[in-house]
Amino acid sequence: MKSGIKAGIIVFPGTNCDIDTRRACEFYGWQTEFIWHDEKNLDKYDVIFLPGGFSYGDYIRAGRLAKFSPAVMALKDYVKAKRGFVIGICNGFQVLCETKLLPGILSTNTNTKFICEEVELSVNHEGFPGTVKFAIAHGEGRYIADEAVLEEIVAKNMLFLRYNDNPNGSALDIAGLYDKENKIIGMMPHPERGIFAETGNTDGRYFFEMLERELNKNLCACKYTACSQAEEY
Amino acid sequence: MKKYKADIIVSLKNGVRDPQGAAVDTVLKRTGMEEDATVQTGKFFTLSITGEDETSAKSKLNVICEEVLSNPVLETYKIERFSEV
Repeated sequence: MKSGIKAGIIVFPGTNCDIDTRRACEFYGWQTEFIWHDEKNLDKYDVIFLPGGFSYGDYIRAGRLAKFSPAVMALKDYVKAKRGFVIGICNGFQVLCETKLLPGILSTNTNTKFICEEVELSVNHEGFPGTVKFAIAHGEGRYIADEAVLEEIVAKNMLFLRYNDNPNGSALDIAGLYDKENKIIGMMPHPERGIFAETGNTDGRYFFEMLERELNKNLCACKYTACSQAEEY
Repeated sequence: MKKYKADIIVSLKNGVRDPQGAAVDTVLKRTGMEEDATVQTGKFFTLSITGEDETSAKSKLNVICEEVLSNPVLETYKIERFSEV
């Protein structure tokens, strides 16, 4: 089934979850393209993914060098214009924090290990069951922010995903944030790994279905704006 | 244009837990090399930059440290051995 949704996936040198993310988007019939990191215009996409991996080798720190790429510079304009949704998964969440599109930062896991497992998460959003299981795979997933920022996160209702059994030492058990005002979601877990039944987990579908509902609302709003402009003429 | 070089040390801010440092502590204690070890890890960079004079080179260096080499949410930096080449 073809959908009107246009998804773009930014690919940095070192990104490695781009194909999984594309397959997940295509599962829902979204028109999906890879965007090389030197792209300067993202306007044609309804949703932009920053996928998992090790952008620029995670040199200096995870996500640090990616924030200077032309595509991420363009992403700031995309957000400012409220053009569409931005989804940062794992390394993408680290890039969003380094870019200050989301508050806080992700640092080395408390146990210093690269944790690769399925974890239970509490979801604070309609359309989800209270608990889902998503895969995580990261060495730097410990969410850190100062008290004032954490208070703001709670006040703005940005706590999207929280670990039931915190594996990495994150403040407030934070696994993912959702800035509804700017349509930005960042999360360490990988919903794109929970789409196909053969992987043994299809909980990722809750996330993509939620996103699809939000994107369709957005598309309708855009069409409505176009219509009302047409009537004015 | 003059050329300057400097060493930069980036470390975690006070109060930020340093799991890698703690792991090294454990090794030092376990091997008996040091019973009361407190290790803090960080990063070391050495770089050369250009500038009209020392002041402009230093201000450029501060921007590089704040934007590229460290993240003020988590880390602090120190500029050491700043000198003209």
